[in-house]
Amino acid sequence: MAKEGSGSILQFAPFQSSVDEGFWHRLSSLKLNKFGIDDSPIPISGFYAPCSHPQVSNHLTLLAESLPSDSNEGSAMPAIIRGNRNRCSVPGILYNTNTMESFHALDKQGLLKAEAKKIWEDIHSGKAVEDCAVLSRFLLISFADLKKWSFHYWFAFPALALDPSATLVDLRPASQWFTLEEAESVSAECNEWRNSSETADVPFFLVSIGSDSRATIRHLKDLEACQLDGQKLLFAFYDPCHLPINPGWPLRNFLALICSRWNLKTVRFLCYRENRGFADLSLSLVGEALITVPQGWREHQSVPNAVGWELNKGRKIPRCINLAKSMDPTRLAISAADLNLKLMRWRALPSLNLDILFSIKCLLLGAGTLGCQVARMLMAWGVRKITLLDNGRVAMSNPLRQSLYTLDDCLNGGDFKSTAAVRSLQRIFPAVEAEGVVMAIPMPGHPVSSQEEKSVLEDCRRLNYLIDSHDVIFLLTDTRESRWLPALLCANTNKITITSALGFDSFLVMRHGPGPFNSTRCLKAETSNSLSAVMDSLTLTNTDGRHRLGCYFCNDVVAPTDSTSNRTLDQQCTVTRPGLAPIASALAVELLVGILHHPHGIFAEAEIANSHSGGNSELPLGILPHQIRGSLPHFQQMTLVGHSSNSCTACCSTVVSEYRKRGMQFILQAINHPTYLEDLTGLTELMRSANSFQLDWDDEIDADDECIEL
Amino acid sequence: MMDLLHWDGTLSAKDFRIGAVAFAQKWESLNFAFPPWVWVPCPKHPWLASPEEEGYLSMEKICISRLNEEDIDQTTQIDTDEEEASCSGNKDVIDDATLVQRNHHELHYYDFHIVYSNTFRVPVLYLRAYCSDGQPLQLDEIEKELPTCSSKELSKSKWTFITQEEHPHLKRPWYKLHPCGTGEWMKLLFLNDTAQPKFEVVLELYLLSWFSVVGQVVGLRIPFKMLNDR
Repeated sequence: MAKEGSGSILQFAPFQSSVDEGFWHRLSSLKLNKFGIDDSPIPISGFYAPCSHPQVSNHLTLLAESLPSDSNEGSAMPAIIRGNRNRCSVPGILYNTNTMESFHALDKQGLLKAEAKKIWEDIHSGKAVEDCAVLSRFLLISFADLKKWSFHYWFAFPALALDPSATLVDLRPASQWFTLEEAESVSAECNEWRNSSETADVPFFLVSIGSDSRATIRHLKDLEACQLDGQKLLFAFYDPCHLPINPGWPLRNFLALICSRWNLKTVRFLCYRENRGFADLSLSLVGEALITVPQGWREHQSVPNAVGWELNKGRKIPRCINLAKSMDPTRLAISAADLNLKLMRWRALPSLNLDILFSIKCLLLGAGTLGCQVARMLMAWGVRKITLLDNGRVAMSNPLRQSLYTLDDCLNGGDFKSTAAVRSLQRIFPAVEAEGVVMAIPMPGHPVSSQEEKSVLEDCRRLNYLIDSHDVIFLLTDTRESRWLPALLCANTNKITITSALGFDSFLVMRHGPGPFNSTRCLKAETSNSLSAVMDSLTLTNTDGRHRLGCYFCNDVVAPTDSTSNRTLDQQCTVTRPGLAPIASALAVELLVGILHHPHGIFAEAEIANSHSGGNSELPLGILPHQIRGSLPHFQQMTLVGHSSNSCTACCSTVVSEYRKRGMQFILQAINHPTYLEDLTGLTELMRSANSFQLDWDDEIDADDECIEL
Repeated sequence: MMDLLHWDGTLSAKDFRIGAVAFAQKWESLNFAFPPWVWVPCPKHPWLASPEEEGYLSMEKICISRLNEEDIDQTTQIDTDEEEASCSGNKDVIDDATLVQRNHHELHYYDFHIVYSNTFRVPVLYLRAYCSDGQPLQLDEIEKELPTCSSKELSKSKWTFITQEEHPHLKRPWYKLHPCGTGEWMKLLFLNDTAQPKFEVVLELYLLSWFSVVGQVVGLRIPFKMLNDR
């Protein structure tokens, strides 16, 4: 394995850089907190150690500790750690620019020359003999893009170029060059050198071997002591390279030192390498080099040429690393949220379907006490696509009960609720895809003038479009009549619909049953002329013959009408016990998650708590009720079932088919004529026949009494 | 006097420190495939010489070499053409004394830390992986290299789950094997030990036994000798 023959140029394996993530973290922190736009050069430390693996070279490594401390009291210099055998510290300098353009515009040759000059002067002043690590001084240029969290960088390991280059006379594994006793002694001395904290990180040293085969290791400054004895002398250095026929880069400047300071033309060197923490003389190399001392070197004339910019996979270009995944706060928030849900799935709920939660689109009608809480709960479950619709502005009393708003949203007349809500959601979790819609929901019993007609129809169409383009609709408004149109539109398109309503100290949370037409075709009323086609799929029941579950209006005997005018003041203000909204909102979202995990989805049968009826209680999330009604005075909660009504003003087949037939005209009629819906559904008839009974109805039961809905 | 039946499978911070040192020593003396574990102290109050020193075991730069080289070239296409053009003024980057290496063999490095969790009172294995230029590896890439680490394999086990969390001392995201089941299976492990060790012995052997399970998840096998040598 010996490489012999005169005249072959000695080729050195270049240093390889390795930058630990921690370095970039600290640099970012320094830039943001200390340096700002100041781009003066920063002194840094690099670390390397002798090769410790027969197939892998060691690198010059930068760690967080390579940079000065980022705390306020820290000094401007990196902390010097001595005595660590795995981290020989070498000085370096960092030029970090503020823009990509200035990064490319740096005078690379000039900078390299400046560092080479420092090495040159250290050689001549004797500093390199005292503190030999300066022979491996290095340069780093970088551009830290703190918006994209990507770091462009380029190392240079300045090597003073001999001209002509040194030639290799001999190179072989150290174990083949030393005698057995010599090898034993050299190993022992080297191991001691490496184990002593004073010398462990001194990367250049002298090995002299006496005639008794005993080896002695000395510092460079003790060269004279070695030469006096006329012993075998080797110039040794920690070699990061593992290659069997090439020494590592640090030898270049070592040779420059040797020839210019001590005027030696023949140099015997030892590339010291290890294996598992001990000297390995079969991996280590001993070689002999012939140097022609260039003119002017001894006289300390101009700085020699230097080479050493690190190649990037053989190309003369800088390197780039992107750390967004571990540094960008938004990405970290996303992965943390993701892992949290996965943890829940692993520990408690193996059938949790995170994909469906991640992809469904939820429309929240109302951004008040209910809307704010529902939005937050949805995000906690991993829902990302949330649209909030509300035409109101944030009022001063709102932030207390409506959990997405703060005082800032109330100033200057108050921001629109839906826009403020979206802003707030984004501050909580930047990856949310939230949208706000400022719009009023057209309501029956609130007639519109002919001038307003056009815009009201526009609103209807817009609402229809919104419902169409979402998968789940939450009805969270504060009046009964505002829920009518959405309930109808949802019944028409079989969208999962969840209603929540509050009384003063009681609440209702319910899921609407499927619409009367089980086909998933969404027939737009304006385009459908074929009544018979519609009639074909007309049914009151689910496909398996059972009654479909009812909607919010199915239990009513009157049509929704204006409940807001003509009420006394305390009836107009929807005041409820504060605890209700969070409870109802939370239940609404849990109910939704239940629906999404039920094999029948919107068609799922209703189950009641404590039911022994063989309902699907094996579902991991538990039962799936139809309605949950709770009351605070009793701290009680019940699950109920309500089936659809033939005369429901929102979801009965008569109403839905009328809507499909006449579309917006039908809506307009319902809005403008308070009794139209009752007439259409036959409720008028029902009332008339009920009233014809001779019974003493209590006069207090009056439609207008319902200022709060249940 | 604590006995095995009433033990909850956990370990005190002090026992962890003692056990860590013993584990590292045993590892170094018997394990030739891997470098030694190093104790890294993390003093809470650096100005106090506290006997209650916190720290963790560290074994770093475990090298795994990649076999396919095609993938690497594709991943570093970021603006390289643009960069080459803007650096065209570079002469003298290399000279004839510079060895130009053609073989760009990509290597992946793994760091392992054993950190004590005060909440769960058990040791936790933290790991991270990166390329030679420092670019961190994501979990799906790690799974390809450490097949026992794949989420498919892990999901079969109710005891092991890889999650990503901030390293308690280094304040950067690391992967870790979630510790919430550790106490339970450690207790099971010792209860089923036919040697029926005394409780004091159990504490001494804790880290060794713990690692014999956890290490397998990340492909670190404890040599048979080490396990038997009790």
